Formats: sequence, C-alpha cells, structure tokens
Amino acid sequence: MPGVTSDSGELNSLSVVPHSSDTQSPIVYPLRNHGLSPPLIRLSISWARGNTLRVSFLQSEEHNVVGKVVEVKLTNTDGGEITDAQRRRIEYGSVAPFALLQSHKNSSITSLYDKDWWERVMEYSKEISSLLGDSKSSAAPIIGDPKAVLRKMEEPTSLRAAWELLEIFYVDKHCQTWIPERLLDWLADFDCLFSGNQPTVHAKLVAFQEELVTIQAVENDPEYWQAMSSALAVGWLDVVVKLLRLHGSYLFDQLGSREIENGLVEAVALLISQMPRMRPYLLAEKLGESYQTKPEFMKAWEKWRAQITKLDCSAFWLQCDHQKTRDGLKNMLQIMLGNASILSNVTYHWIELYISHFLYIRPFTVGLESMYTLAQKCMNLKPILYRHKLMGLIIGILEENTEVVLAECSRSFGPWMTTHAIELLTAGSIQAETLLHEQQSKLGGICIEELHRLVYAQILSSHALTWNIAAIYLTSCMKQGLGLLENLLYKQPVQHHQVLLKSIEICRLNGLDFVSCNMMKIAGVHYWKHGKKGSAVFWLQQARDELRLNRIAKHLFDFVGKSISDEGFKQWEGMIELLGTESKTAGGLEFLKKYRDFRRSLQQVHEGITTEAAQKAAEALISLMRNPSTPQQFWLPLLHDSLKLLNWKERPLINVSQTNILLNKLQDLSLARLRPGFVETDLPPEALKSIRLALATNLGRAILNE
Amino acid sequence: MDNPILTLDKGTRCTAWNYSGQRLAAGLADGALAIYDSTDPASSTFSCTSRFKVQESSILRIVWVPPEYGDVVACVTADGTLSLWEEVVEDTEGPQWRLCKCFDRNTSQILDVQFGNNGTCLKLVAAYSDGQVKIYELLDTLELGKWQLQAEFQNVIDLVSKYSNASCLSASISWNPQRSEVQQSNFVLGFNSNIPPLNSAKVWEFDLDHQRWLPVAELSSPEDKNDQVYAVAWAPNIGRPYELIAVATDKEISIWHLGSNPDPDGRLSVQKVAMLSGHGSEVWQMEWDISGMTLASTGSDGVVRLWQSNLNGVWHEQAVLAPAS
Repeated sequence: MPGVTSDSGELNSLSVVPHSSDTQSPIVYPLRNHGLSPPLIRLSISWARGNTLRVSFLQSEEHNVVGKVVEVKLTNTDGGEITDAQRRRIEYGSVAPFALLQSHKNSSITSLYDKDWWERVMEYSKEISSLLGDSKSSAAPIIGDPKAVLRKMEEPTSLRAAWELLEIFYVDKHCQTWIPERLLDWLADFDCLFSGNQPTVHAKLVAFQEELVTIQAVENDPEYWQAMSSALAVGWLDVVVKLLRLHGSYLFDQLGSREIENGLVEAVALLISQMPRMRPYLLAEKLGESYQTKPEFMKAWEKWRAQITKLDCSAFWLQCDHQKTRDGLKNMLQIMLGNASILSNVTYHWIELYISHFLYIRPFTVGLESMYTLAQKCMNLKPILYRHKLMGLIIGILEENTEVVLAECSRSFGPWMTTHAIELLTAGSIQAETLLHEQQSKLGGICIEELHRLVYAQILSSHALTWNIAAIYLTSCMKQGLGLLENLLYKQPVQHHQVLLKSIEICRLNGLDFVSCNMMKIAGVHYWKHGKKGSAVFWLQQARDELRLNRIAKHLFDFVGKSISDEGFKQWEGMIELLGTESKTAGGLEFLKKYRDFRRSLQQVHEGITTEAAQKAAEALISLMRNPSTPQQFWLPLLHDSLKLLNWKERPLINVSQTNILLNKLQDLSLARLRPGFVETDLPPEALKSIRLALATNLGRAILNE
Repeated sequence: MDNPILTLDKGTRCTAWNYSGQRLAAGLADGALAIYDSTDPASSTFSCTSRFKVQESSILRIVWVPPEYGDVVACVTADGTLSLWEEVVEDTEGPQWRLCKCFDRNTSQILDVQFGNNGTCLKLVAAYSDGQVKIYELLDTLELGKWQLQAEFQNVIDLVSKYSNASCLSASISWNPQRSEVQQSNFVLGFNSNIPPLNSAKVWEFDLDHQRWLPVAELSSPEDKNDQVYAVAWAPNIGRPYELIAVATDKEISIWHLGSNPDPDGRLSVQKVAMLSGHGSEVWQMEWDISGMTLASTGSDGVVRLWQSNLNGVWHEQAVLAPAS
C-alpha cells in the first residue's frame, strides 16, 4: 500500500496522505507478551490472508518455555464505531451497486460526462447510504408525548455522515441551489456525533429534555429559553414551536390572566412556522414555507422580515408582565433578524454557528460561493477543542480540495470508504477525474483510483468470509487487478472442496484458465498423495496435466500388469473406468481401458465359454498388441495370459499375418532386453518358451487352415 | 489486535507456514518436526497433528516445497544435512510423514535452501557454508526422491574467480515469485561471509541457449560492494514494469528496481530506490505481502517493521510491531 500512512489522531488507521510525506513517524502496534520473556532468540514472520501478518516468537533453550504464534490484522480503521459483522454486511451490500455502476461505465464511455450520469451515481450513492444506517432525523418531535421534544433513536455513524456530505457536495446536482438547507438537514441528523467531546445544540436539547419532566413552569427556567434560542439558531423550527407551546400561558386556567403574553408567544410561534426556506420541498413534520426560485424566496423573505421587525417594535411588549418571556421572545426575534453576536452566543460548535449564518445573516447564499471563508470565520469564533474525524473532511470539501478529501476519507474512514467514495468524487468533476485517473509511474504505472481498489481488495481478502468478493474490485482495476487476483487465488487452500470450486468459478469468470489449471493440479497431487486416486485423476484431467497423468499411467501399469488371476486388478477396475471418458488426454491411460476390456473377455474364456467369445478376445489381443501406446512391459504378460487363446482347440483364432505381428513383437522384446531401462516382468522363466511354442504351433495351424 | 493462534512446543527453533497459511511446520532443537493444522479454511485455531523425528541434531530451517508437488517440507539440520519429508496416505492408515530424500552430506553445511517452480519443473537452490551454490532439478513430478545436480557455482559476477577457503555464516536466497511458464527462472542470492566478493546480492538467471546459470545483475552500490548480506526478498509483481527486490546488509535495508530488458552484455539495469535503516543490527528475515506493496522485516532488535512507498514513491517505515514491555 504505497502512500498509506499514519495520523497521530487515529492510532489504528492506515491512510493515504499525499501532502505530508516528510514528517511521518511509524505507527506502533504493541504486541502483547503472552507470557514470554526476553531474550527471544528469534522472531519469524509470514503473511497470511491479505493484510494479516503472523509472527512466531521463539524462546531460547535456557528459558524452557513454550513459543507463541500471534496473528496481527494490520487494518482496523473504524475505531470501534462499527462492529465486524456490521462492516461485513456493508462490504457485502456494496458489491452489487458498485458492480452495477462499473458496468454502466463500461457500457457507455461517452455518457460519463452526460448530464444524467450523476443520476446513475446518485442511485448508487443512495443504495450505499441505505447500507450505512437509518436516515430519520433525530431532532424530529414526537406527536404522542407532548413533553418529548427529541425522538430517541439509534446513534448515527460518522461513516454515514461522511457519505451524505460527499453526496450533497459532489453528486446531487439538484441540491446545488440549496446547499445551506441540505447542510442544515445534515446537521439535524448528525449534530449528536459532535456531542461526545464538546457541547452542542443537540447535547443541550437532550439535557433539557431530561429536566423537562420535573419543571413546573417552564417559562421561569432560563434553560428553556436558551434551548429554544439554540434550536432556532440552527433552524430546527419544529422543536422550537413545540417548546413554545409548552409555555405556561397556554394553560386553560392561565389564559384569561396572561392573554397578551400568550398572544406574543403565539405570534412568535406563528412567525417561526412561516419562515421562508430556499428549498424545493419540506418533509411533512418540518415547518417553514419552501420556495424553489430565488426571486420568489427573496420576496417572501423580505415580507417575513418586515413582519418580525413590526412585531419587534410592537407596543404589546410593554404590556407583557412576565419578564423572562419578554426577554426570551425578544432574543428569538433578534436571532431571526440575524444578530451576529446573539447567534454566536446560542451556538456551540462552529458548524452550528455556520448554519445559523446561512439561515439568518446570509440567506441568499447559493452554491459554494465563499463558503470556505465563512467557515474559517466561524472556526475562529468557535475554536475546535476536539478534532472530530468529520472535521477534516468538511474542511476539505469546503476548500474544494479533492486530494484532501480523499486523504481524509482514507485516514478517518478506511479503504472501504475511499474505494466507494471515489465514484462520488469523480461524478462530473473533471479536475477530480484527472487527479484520480492519471497513471503515475511512482505508483508502478497505476492511478490513484486503482491503488485504492487494490488496497481495499487486499483487506477483503484478509477474511475467509469476504475474500471472494475481492475479485469484483480487482476486475475493475485496469492494470494490476488480475495480477493480484492471481496471487490471491494461489493462496487458497484448494484441498477444501468448496474453496476449490469457488476459485475455479472466479477463474472462469475472469479468463484465468491457467490459474484454475494450476489449482486443480495442486488439488490433484494432494489427492494422489493422500490416497484418493480417483479424485486425483479427475482433477489432473481437468487440469490437462499430461506430465503427471502419464506418470500416473506408468504407476498404474506397474500394478495392473500382473497375471490375470491377480485379485489386485479388481481394485483398479473402477479407476480405469473413470479414466475412460477423458483418457485421450494421456495416451498411456487410453491403453488401460482397452486392457480392461481385454481382461474381461479373457475372464469369460477362462470360465469356459464359446469359440465366438474366444474369437473376440483374440481380436482384442491383436488390437492391443498393434496399439503403439501399449507399453512394452505389457507385451509378455499379455501373451502369457492369452496362451489359452493361442492354443484354442476348435480352430486357430489368429491368422498368419496376425501371428507374424505377435512373433515380431517377441523379437523386439528380446532386442529391448539388451537396452538399459528394460523392465523385467515377474513371469516364470519358462513363460517365454511356452509363448514361443504356442505361437509356432498356431502359425502352423493357421497356414494349414488357410 | 494481536491474536494468539497457537502455542509452540518448548525448544522450537524455526517455523514455516505453507502456501495457504493453513499448516505450520515447526523444527525443534531435538531434531523433531511438528506439524500444526487448522480444521477448516475459516478457522484461526491450530493444533499439532503430527510430530516425528527428522535428525538427532537441531533443525535450523524449514522450507515448504511448492504445493504442486504435494505436502512436502525441506529440513536443514545443525549437522548440515538437508532432507525432504512428505505427507502421504498409504493403505488404510491415516496420513504419515515419510522421508523421501536425504541429500548427501558433504564437508560444508547448508545455510539456506529455496525451491523455484516455473510450471514444468522444480528446482532447488542450496547455499553452502563454503560459498558454493548448488542447483538441483527434480526428475520425476510425482516422486520427490529423484534429483539431479544441474549446476554448481560461487556467487561471483566474474565467473573465472574461485575462492577455496570461504567461510560463510549465513546465506539468503529468494526466487522470483512469478509463475509464468514462458519466463526463465531466476533468483537472487547473497552471503554473509569472510570473502567480500561472494557477499553482495546477485540475480542469477538460467541461460537456455548455453544451458547454464549466469549472474545478470548485482544489487550493491560500488561503496557497499563488500557488505555482508543478511537477507534478500524478491517482491511479487502484479503488473509493475520493473521488479522489486529488498536486500538487507549489516548497514541498512535497500530496495532495488530491476529492469526487465537486458543490455548487450546480458545485464539487467538496477536502481537503488531506498535506503532504510531501522533494525540497527542484524536483519533476520524479510517478507513481501501478496501485492508486493508492503515489506515486513524482523531483526535482532526484536521488533517487526513494515515498509511502504507513499504516493510520491518515497519508501518509509510505515509501522512497528513491538512486544509490549
């Protein structure tokens, strides 16, 4: 993994940071002792699956203790936010959308820059994001319980937050005109993520919610007004209105005496719920009035602001007796009028302040214009105490720096994120496209996109349950994917049948025939050595390994070349049957099948059958002796076994020319005996004599017969 | 994050994992060999399945033979012998390990042995303590007892020189992991000896035309030519236009690019792309991962170091695996 480096903030992550290559210090992985004490005489290392390293600790003799082998997984990127099982679910779930997007890409190269390409990417993004968790807003009020301001729900993950951010800024072209509102929605979903280490509006609301049940008259509690101001500043209007309606003046017994006070509260609530919003639609439970075009929105905004100003100057305030209500409501009007110092007071995190600026100070911001300068300003006002991993990403996005965004994805969210997010970054951005698709000689000729896919595939291959999906990512790599896939396949334990079948399937899909041949060869040899001769021959035939099949054929000859009465032959019969269908791959094995047939007919002859059967056996003998693939070592046993045929009483079964062939073979055999490497059969010494005699007699009888 | 997967017997001197990481062979000081197996491919728990005596003296090194030849390990023992042991099932008994070859013991010890597999034949390179290198070829694909000595030479560029009184402490051999059947087999070899010209890592390639082994590259800069070499490792190549080889000397670990096109003299171009220091002392072992992007090394400082190149092509120490004190 070139370029993978460490970040002091996230101890366990490996990530790509292209802009800080000089000042890196290595990550330290502590290895527990496991009861071993120094001095060790040796450490021994070996790479196991993917990114797993195995370390053997060997202890010196005098310490007289056992050694240990430990396995270290070199990637652990999410810092515990996501469990292993969840991560695998995400990994499996993202294969199909990824593969679909790649096939769209391959089928229509030209449409990459089409205006509707981003819609394809958008579908992909939605599918991936659905894997990352529920999308319900955590700031949504619950209708049933009047005192439940915030809905309790599953904690969202940073991973999902990061994915949605990328989708908002890089893919969804529809939302370009209303990015501030999208960010507002985003913050409503994910503000709780920042609560862990510093105060946030969400944390304040949660805290107030807990107190709420015990408070008698909320309007007397300063926390009540503070919570509402904060929620209003970040635009959670529904929460604010709901809280306002808890005001004591709404109670039936109070209504008469606090009429004016109640009127003011209701007026503010009404204004809040009528706030114009620059967005195409609003979800049912959300408040405000949406406007799609800027002129309409500006007109509505001016009108709304005029109403606020009018209310602010109203004489009714003087008649309001409850001071906390008066101050609180006035403060909220100031927020809506865009009072910068009050906004700064009621927000906590810089991003909350940032949103409040868009809502009340610069409502007409469209697109990314000067968003980064404003972010810097907000960060100065609300310095970051704890750098959440999303921060780097947000800043990178606002800076419009693809390199930083990629580095942050990799550093904080790991290879899964980087590999899949690249599709979002390149959707319609030519600059990102060039950066990510340019081949780099420093990376061995691949581009950054391919590098990340290779790294991710290697991580997938670290686990027995995910190694097979690595192939999908590797085949999407132009240059080195198949090379890595090959190496990955060669490491599979092929003696496990399921693994072998899966590997062969992957090879077939990717045109890696030579790799599957090799795997079948390994399996074949394994079975051969482990006594499963049938499976061995089957796999070697599948692998078309003639070298080993011929060698096995020779081995079999040694066994079957015994006399006919030998019981041992029976055990080979089944195997020869198996060789039958595809034995053309090895010449020697083809012989074995003929030999088997011959032995069968000969058996019948011995059991005393007709001349007709004997004639068939004699023909089989001639055909075997004529066949060049019949090994020499078989000639003599064949003839010896056929003595009964040669001496057939009723009539000679072999004619003159056939007898001559047999005599010639006998002649060849006596010459071959002089050469080195001749295999002597274990027939009795008089066997040759009796064969000669039988052949000579047969020749005489045949001549007479003709 | 480090997960103990097995406990080794007392007196374990060396270990080696097979190609798939499903079996571990461990050599013991009393000359016994222990085999540890996992039950299924997804499991990470291992137990000892067989244990047998190889020699009377301690086992120094174990190397697995490529799986195309079965489940076979080569054992180098302290008395200098090299033997091959094979797992077979005969008749109705369960798997047994049997000796299939014991190479003749000569006056010098074997320091390292590695198997090269280029599809059609299996080759074995052995480096001896007298500075000799021997290459054997397997004659029969299914019978590991039949080997033929193919070549014998010393690790020198100048083929004429002969050094008779060399004394070597260690040697390291690494075959090019490429499995292509068309490409010629080649390996890199370095010594830690008292004869400087033998030390530097050299790439050897089999010359088909003349049927002999030739040194095609030397991986050392002129000023470091005589440095003792502790370990060499040839990286898997998944598609780079050049080969990547790591060489560890008494000074540093260096990373080399090896070109693929020979010059008229038959030499391959070499370029040292990184000098990495970390272990500070002897490097014991170096291993590349399956993509050839990460190098892992161990040394007498007792830690494991991981090395990678960043996006700018700069090699650096990426991580340290250190026993917690």
